Amino acid sequence: MPETTAKPWGETKFVGKPIPRVDGYERVSGTAEYPSDVVLPNMLHAAILRCPHGQAQVKRVDLAKAREMPGVRAVLSDADKEAQIPWYAPPGSPGSTGSPTASRLFDPHCRFEGEEIAAVAAETPQQAWDAVRAIRAEYNVLPSVVDMEEALKPGAPAVQESGNRWGAPRETKRGDVAQGFAEADVVLEETYRTSCEIHTPSEIHGSVVRWDGDHLTVWDTNQGPFGIQAPLAAAMSLPLSKVRVISHYMGGGFGSKLNLGKYTVIAAVLARKTGRPVRLFLTREESFRAVGNRPAHIMKLKAGVKKDGTLTALQLTGLGEVGAYPAGTSVGYQVGDLYRCPNVLISESQAFINAGPNRAFRAPGFPQCSWALEQMMDALAEKIGMDPVEFRIKNYSAVCQMQQNKPYTSAGLRECLTEGARAFNWKDARLRSKGSGPWVRGVGVAAGMWGSQSGPPSTVRVSLYPDGSASLNMGAADLGTGTKTVMALVVAEELGVPLDRIQIENADTGTTEFTRPSGGSKTVFADSPAVRSAALEVKARVLEMAAAQLKLPVTDLAFQEGAIVAQGGTRKLAVRELTQLRAQQVVVGVGVRGPDPVDKVVRPFVAQFAEVEVNIRTGETRVLRLVAAHDSGRVMDLLTYRSQVIGGLTMGIGFALTERRIMDAVTGKMANANCHDYKIPTAKDVPADKTVIPIDLHDTECNTTGTKGIGEPATIPTAAAIANAFYHATGIRITAAPITPANVLTLLEERRKRG
Amino acid sequence: MRKSIRERESRTGLSRRRFFNSVASGAAEAAILTVPGAVAAEAAVGQAADGNMVKTVLDINGRSHSLSVEPRWTLLYVLRDRLGLMGTKASCERGECGACTVLIDGAARYACMTLAVEATGAEITTVEGLMRGEELGPVQQAFVEEDAFQCGHCTSGQVVSVEALLRKTPQPSIEQIREGVSGNVCRCGAYANIFRAVQKAAELRKGGR
Amino acid sequence: MLSQFSYQRAASIKEAAEAASRPDVRILAGGTDLLGCLRNQVLQANRLVSLNGLSALKGIRQGPGGGLRLGALTTLTEIAEHRQILDSYSVLAQAAASVGSPQLRNQGTLGGNLCQRPRCWYFRGDFKCRRKGGDTCFAEGGDSQLHCIFGGASCYMVHPSDTAPALVALDAKVSITGRRGTRLVPLSSFFVLPADSLVKETVLQPGEIVTEILLDPPQPGARSAYRKVRERGAFDFALAGAAIVVAMAEGKVRTARVVLSGVAPVPWRSTDAEKTIIGKPLDAAVAVAAAAAAVKGASPLADNGYKVPLVRGILEETLTALAA
Repeated sequence: MPETTAKPWGETKFVGKPIPRVDGYERVSGTAEYPSDVVLPNMLHAAILRCPHGQAQVKRVDLAKAREMPGVRAVLSDADKEAQIPWYAPPGSPGSTGSPTASRLFDPHCRFEGEEIAAVAAETPQQAWDAVRAIRAEYNVLPSVVDMEEALKPGAPAVQESGNRWGAPRETKRGDVAQGFAEADVVLEETYRTSCEIHTPSEIHGSVVRWDGDHLTVWDTNQGPFGIQAPLAAAMSLPLSKVRVISHYMGGGFGSKLNLGKYTVIAAVLARKTGRPVRLFLTREESFRAVGNRPAHIMKLKAGVKKDGTLTALQLTGLGEVGAYPAGTSVGYQVGDLYRCPNVLISESQAFINAGPNRAFRAPGFPQCSWALEQMMDALAEKIGMDPVEFRIKNYSAVCQMQQNKPYTSAGLRECLTEGARAFNWKDARLRSKGSGPWVRGVGVAAGMWGSQSGPPSTVRVSLYPDGSASLNMGAADLGTGTKTVMALVVAEELGVPLDRIQIENADTGTTEFTRPSGGSKTVFADSPAVRSAALEVKARVLEMAAAQLKLPVTDLAFQEGAIVAQGGTRKLAVRELTQLRAQQVVVGVGVRGPDPVDKVVRPFVAQFAEVEVNIRTGETRVLRLVAAHDSGRVMDLLTYRSQVIGGLTMGIGFALTERRIMDAVTGKMANANCHDYKIPTAKDVPADKTVIPIDLHDTECNTTGTKGIGEPATIPTAAAIANAFYHATGIRITAAPITPANVLTLLEERRKRG
Repeated sequence: MRKSIRERESRTGLSRRRFFNSVASGAAEAAILTVPGAVAAEAAVGQAADGNMVKTVLDINGRSHSLSVEPRWTLLYVLRDRLGLMGTKASCERGECGACTVLIDGAARYACMTLAVEATGAEITTVEGLMRGEELGPVQQAFVEEDAFQCGHCTSGQVVSVEALLRKTPQPSIEQIREGVSGNVCRCGAYANIFRAVQKAAELRKGGR
Repeated sequence: MLSQFSYQRAASIKEAAEAASRPDVRILAGGTDLLGCLRNQVLQANRLVSLNGLSALKGIRQGPGGGLRLGALTTLTEIAEHRQILDSYSVLAQAAASVGSPQLRNQGTLGGNLCQRPRCWYFRGDFKCRRKGGDTCFAEGGDSQLHCIFGGASCYMVHPSDTAPALVALDAKVSITGRRGTRLVPLSSFFVLPADSLVKETVLQPGEIVTEILLDPPQPGARSAYRKVRERGAFDFALAGAAIVVAMAEGKVRTARVVLSGVAPVPWRSTDAEKTIIGKPLDAAVAVAAAAAAVKGASPLADNGYKVPLVRGILEETLTALAA
């Protein structure tokens, strides 16, 4: 038997080089077909009527006028039998999301502005919206609460009948914090706040659906079609074999497109009702309210340190807002794991408010935690007179404290900090004059880690054809992270087939095999080993064929750059010369993701450095440059790796400086549900000077490609590094994000009044 | 005659609008003025709730399209849903993101904030119009080489904005680049690469590609 | 999604004025403001009357004695790039360049920029506020961080325009044509406070159309600047800003106009700040005094107290810069 077990790569020919994307042409020419570009013959357009109140009971929905509107082919509301589909299922029921109360597709109790009331399908989108506006809905408007601290006060309006606290506080405990604080030379305590951030991918959420008999096909913009297929099959009471979800291209998700949306189910029901394909894409305004967010957090952090820089205790009390239905984001992980600390107490609570439920958002919980922890680390370092980089190097943990001190498969935080500091010119930059005003400058650092999730399952097929070209068949979507390119590089590396001779089929439950959707920076981590395994199987089968043809033992043969080479390099056989392959026309390798290591923990690490300038007259803050040093294991494609980091940094700038949801406390409605008032960074808000430093420690244990995931780590400490740089520039700790001129000026005024 | 002018433009990079103004402004004015009259006449006739269609002619990527539109149809809707030009993307549809950027008489504008009836008589260029047959145009090529995108959904708009920028400012400074693409939000955050792509595209254009 | 309307391309200003006198008709110029309002049902219209066929309203012409006549349909890009405006009315060029984004400036017109509706998030959102016929100003009990510190009463919007304060600082006049003819209004009298009207922001009567903006010849020794502070670099209105025009003579300020943006329902002229600098050399001390004078009488709401130091900071910085 030829060897099919993957040995760690030595020097690579394709992997790790800066290779332009295999689908670059499609993405820049406008020919890539995103789900929102799919047009089917005879397709109808749908639109949704949503609750305009913070909380309300629907009294009556009068669809009569809407039904009569031009072009209308179907209307749908809670009165329709086919709309009686459970949603936010309570514990014990199928597909439970842990919701205290059962709800359904068009539930008459609307717990946030934007909950679905009714839907229309019509010949044109304009007609669909005309009809939605013709629906007369009457509401019993209920009191609402949109602030998590208010929600937990006695007498607050009930979001959920069982109470606005979601579950009991979750505690993680190690050692004895009281004793740890007693041993400390310095104890600091601070309350940090982060704002609610909205994903706002460029392509808005939506689906195009078509029935063929009882088979349902859905073009949906998501992060992996298998994450949509199963819940959709359950909602429509269909077997998996009758639900096909396709998402070849998608216009960004950042965590908000891991879930099945009500819109997909509504479109499916309308399509069945009308016997026509239906397109239902949300408007930007709808997407701000109804398809997820990164919840705001309040984090009280207390920390003790000895004069020599030894941490003695960390205590985090966190409160997060869930939205109106259970979702929830934990923020405590890094407090318990990033730095060596014998005494840790993490206590987290979550509150329901009358707003859209949160969804996973690029490293859920981690940028929030970094905002608190990394600012606290800076404050501690200052108190004991230690350099912030040195302080972190002294304290980073080489073992996973959250998992019984298991070792990591690789841990490059020290290298991230030292290499990053060197590239940033940290020591000199800290000493340089801050300027005399009104613009003052400063530098900051923040470290972080991501709590990677597990790899399996993933099944991938690789096929080799008699002309030497190949195909790669995998379930993973390409969110723009470069997944297709990276996986093709693995095939190229193993089989020597150039990228332009590899055809890729992906992200289609009808034609590819299962993998979990892309979230948690898991795609390369989970799927590239499966691709490698499939390619290795192809290689093995080819060598078997060659051995039979050449009448040589398989162990004497090698497969190199698309050809079979005998020992000593004397005899060569091109793939096209393999008679058995010509006879069967294809050789297929099926690869599966092997298990994760049992005794070790896989974690990516990061250190980022920021330089900012702040106008102390006007409160404006500008990020001048950023350095990001990442240990995410092996770099698969240097170009797309850098792009992911650059993107993460940009998102971190938004989290730090401009982004926040504004909820109106009186009405319970969102005030800034548009792309003008909700401010995503523009080209004028980011520095051109962004340096990405990959730290590759050649991890041979995390998986067979040595990869740990880069998408999320890239944005974890960015905002905290900016906040620390802001402090260095101004001497003001800005504990509440974002760092807007309003917040800055308020703090500057307070300082001025204090004298 | 129109065709030959366009062919010349693609070779020389000369703004066709400018060319028109200097060479054939009289004819161009006449062409523009005849259509509005027809539009007004149409509009005056019908105000039916479902009808209200207006005949219009749109000049898109060098081809003339005659079609009836509702006055409320945006250029974006007509490009995508009526003419199948899906390269131009719909996103905020409020003039706040740039995904739908097209050139109108050489200037970058938002197709979502332009009524189709108002685009009558103008020369409209979409991302598809920046292709050289099946080959990528210089800006597109530079975007691929510099990986100036991730998901690619805002990219058409970015590419069109860069085209507009480079037509006006062939060798832009970094600040001019920033300003030039500041009307195109990239949520994937590829700006630093976009800046480099603009510089690369300027070189490619200079090299006659 | 836009609701149904019919469309008329006006063949003359008179025709446009006739059509626009009906309450269900809206004037369409660049469309960047109107179409957004229609899309979000902030405004309704049964008919749009487009001015875009009217070449008389386009472009920049020389005015008498070296001034300029700016057609109402002149785009903000044309204003921002016009050589003479850059040289002699830099406050206006800077203000126009600070609007929105390149695309919005290519499309948006000067007339439209002056006549745009409030950007208050309650007005633009699904809130039935007083300016939309309701009985509440949601900023009073809600989030008021972007609202006014001067001139509010019943409504606490800020005027969103960047070019308006610049034009007020330049003492520009606006030519208005209606069914009964044409009138000339100083831009400083063009905008109305909530105390005077809760439904409109300008003195325009039904059917009246802004056709032209007139700039006097630049004063000898004039210097000007527009400084805008916003949360992000593009697609953003002023948290606060200042348009300043001073004319110097013999090292002292002879005349001065200081007009603030982002702080009041109209471009807010600070005559107190002007008085502080007129007759004095423009130095740091005078800048500080003028800045302090400008914020006297400010009455912030719950969330916008920061605008007081912000205005002070902007004026200190900009006046100092003009001195250099």
